[in-house]
Amino acid sequence: MSTLQLKMGLTDRVAKYSRYLLLLPGFVLLLLFLLIPLSMIVGISFFERFTVTGPENLTLKNYVAFFTSPQTPVILLNTFGMSLLACLIAFLLGYPMAYFLVFRVKSARVRFFVVSLLLVPFLIDWSVRVVAWLPILGESGIINYALMSWGVIKEPLELLFGRSALLIIWPQTYLLWMIFPSYLALTRIDPDIINAAKVLKAPPHRVFFDITFKLSLPGVVMGFIFVFVSALGDYVTPALWAGGIQTLGLSVANYAANFVWPYAAALSTILVAIALLILYVLLKVVDIKKLVY
Amino acid sequence: MGKALETKELVKWYGKEVLALNKVTFDIDAGDFFVIVGPSGCGKSTLLKIIAGILDYDSGKLYINGVDMKGVPSYKRDVSMMLEMYALFPHMNVFDNVAFGLRMLGKDKSEIEKEVKEALRLVGLAGLEKRMPLELSGGQRQRVALARALVINPSVLLLDEPLSHVDYRLQRKLMEDLKEIHRKVGNTFILTTHVQEHALSLADTVMVMNTGVIEQIGKPEEVYTTPATVFAARFVGEINLFSAQIKSWDGGLCYLTTDIGELKANPKNKNTLPSSGKVAYAIRPEYVKIGEEARLCDNKTEAKLVSYYYFGHYMEYVFEAIGNTKIKVSVPTEKVGNLTLGSTYLLGWSAKDVLLIERPCMIEGLNIEEVIYGK
Ligand SMILES: Nc1ncnc2c1ncn2[C@@H]1O[C@H](COP(=O)(O)OP(=O)(O)OP(=O)(O)O)[C@@H](O)[C@H]1O
Ligand SMILES: [Mg+2]
Repeated sequence: MSTLQLKMGLTDRVAKYSRYLLLLPGFVLLLLFLLIPLSMIVGISFFERFTVTGPENLTLKNYVAFFTSPQTPVILLNTFGMSLLACLIAFLLGYPMAYFLVFRVKSARVRFFVVSLLLVPFLIDWSVRVVAWLPILGESGIINYALMSWGVIKEPLELLFGRSALLIIWPQTYLLWMIFPSYLALTRIDPDIINAAKVLKAPPHRVFFDITFKLSLPGVVMGFIFVFVSALGDYVTPALWAGGIQTLGLSVANYAANFVWPYAAALSTILVAIALLILYVLLKVVDIKKLVY
Repeated sequence: MGKALETKELVKWYGKEVLALNKVTFDIDAGDFFVIVGPSGCGKSTLLKIIAGILDYDSGKLYINGVDMKGVPSYKRDVSMMLEMYALFPHMNVFDNVAFGLRMLGKDKSEIEKEVKEALRLVGLAGLEKRMPLELSGGQRQRVALARALVINPSVLLLDEPLSHVDYRLQRKLMEDLKEIHRKVGNTFILTTHVQEHALSLADTVMVMNTGVIEQIGKPEEVYTTPATVFAARFVGEINLFSAQIKSWDGGLCYLTTDIGELKANPKNKNTLPSSGKVAYAIRPEYVKIGEEARLCDNKTEAKLVSYYYFGHYMEYVFEAIGNTKIKVSVPTEKVGNLTLGSTYLLGWSAKDVLLIERPCMIEGLNIEEVIYGK
């Protein structure tokens, strides 16, 4: 009897732990390519120099330098302000599209077709997509040409080479990251829940804000995170099109290119820390726990 | 008395395949307790959703309190509804779910609090205000949905299967409560069920439905004692049905040929019946007598007892007559004798208790045997 018990105990335990095996490949990848490099970066940021022989002189100098620089407020604003604004614009453009697809397009086939269309830009090489903005947003690009020939404006708008470029390019580039999770969250809503709100006397705007929108919030938050993180990580667009404005990502790239590893590492750490803080506040405010039912 | 609801030839298609409502025409008096009963998939929910304004119909007319409802959105109709699958708001607790409608109507806070409390007490959920829908049992969710529809107190209240997921005792209590609320507020209740007992005991008026059509509308006693079609007879209450051929009429008495031999009938609806042709010969189980009592009846047949079901206050025996024809007999418990399975007994019933039904059902093209012996 005791051997039987032992056996049962063993298989039970194997069964209990074996489900964690599913996590193993992902965990190994995370460890190798994210956690280890990230902790190395954080580690390096606390040294004065990083040479072939290794790090030298433990110090907080890098952080002090960053936070006392007069440039810092502008850089932070460029980085996080622009990314958040891009999220907001992507939301304002993307959410109505997702809503329309789910609630106004009756045919599942058409819906699938439109979603597939949204993926087409991703088939075009990234470098082409980045450069293609010139003939569209440039001084003699399509938009300025159209606006001027319709007489809406006299002088070409300066759409590129300024912050406005980021607010056009980022939302466009990452629109799908907003549409997709919103779309999925909206399709998950039981139509009878919306019906229930209607029969309980809710006018259309209350049905939307009290029920539909609230229930789709997990998807919207997901979309926000996707767009936010993508925009934060993109330093090429600011470098090419934003007319010399500085962002944290850009600074990291610059310092890293000049082998000033510790300072680049400190900037990266600050970038990640503030990003995490913003995400944390976002999740707190939305209280996503209550919505993920 | 005014009409709370009128429909004229309502038609509803789902896609091109499913005809859920086929020219449904009926009306409901204001203040009626109207129960729609019918088998699963016959279109009860579809009809209620159309009345509530959350589903569009293809053609026909719908009036609520005399007003044409075409294009009137749900929130502007003096109607509320409890949906079949409850559809509670998953992100709101029980209190907020029930308060939702009152908030939409712009009631003030103290009033909302009072009415929600009262509604929850009524459905037996007092004290669960803070629970989330996911933390409730199926029956509790159903009662939240019921309370949520009740508090709005509209002139027409639609309840789609409000009693299906609660235990028997609670069903009885909720039925009593519903009747009492209905008496007190005097508004119109439209309730659906596929349980015929609920229909018979709750309703002022019963409507029997069959895939997209109305079989019969009437008082519960009317539907039970004079079913308009074989379908209605089968669906409301237990009944023995034999396919029969009218041989002749003699005065009020009809002579028929059936699978179990020659039988007589003296039906109440004799002036609506044809002089010959096929009909359904129907006798309710409570009118069939066994043994000595049967000797005096004008219809008799020998049959073997094959099984029985005990229902507490009555016993239902199932006999088999010639040609494997089943005959059900129900006997009040205090009158139950000592019968042995497998033995043969004499069964009998009086011609005046027999119903003859000419029409199989309201769907065209079905022959009477198909309906009598089930689909
Ligand atoms: N959204 C839909 N799309 C297609 N067919 C539907 C849809 N909803 C219902 N139907 C069909 O319409 C018919 C009527 O459905 P309905 O839900 O009204 O039946 P019901 O009488 O309420 O049944 P139950 O007692 O099972 O709730 C059924 O045949 C059903 O399959
Ligand atoms: Mg239904």
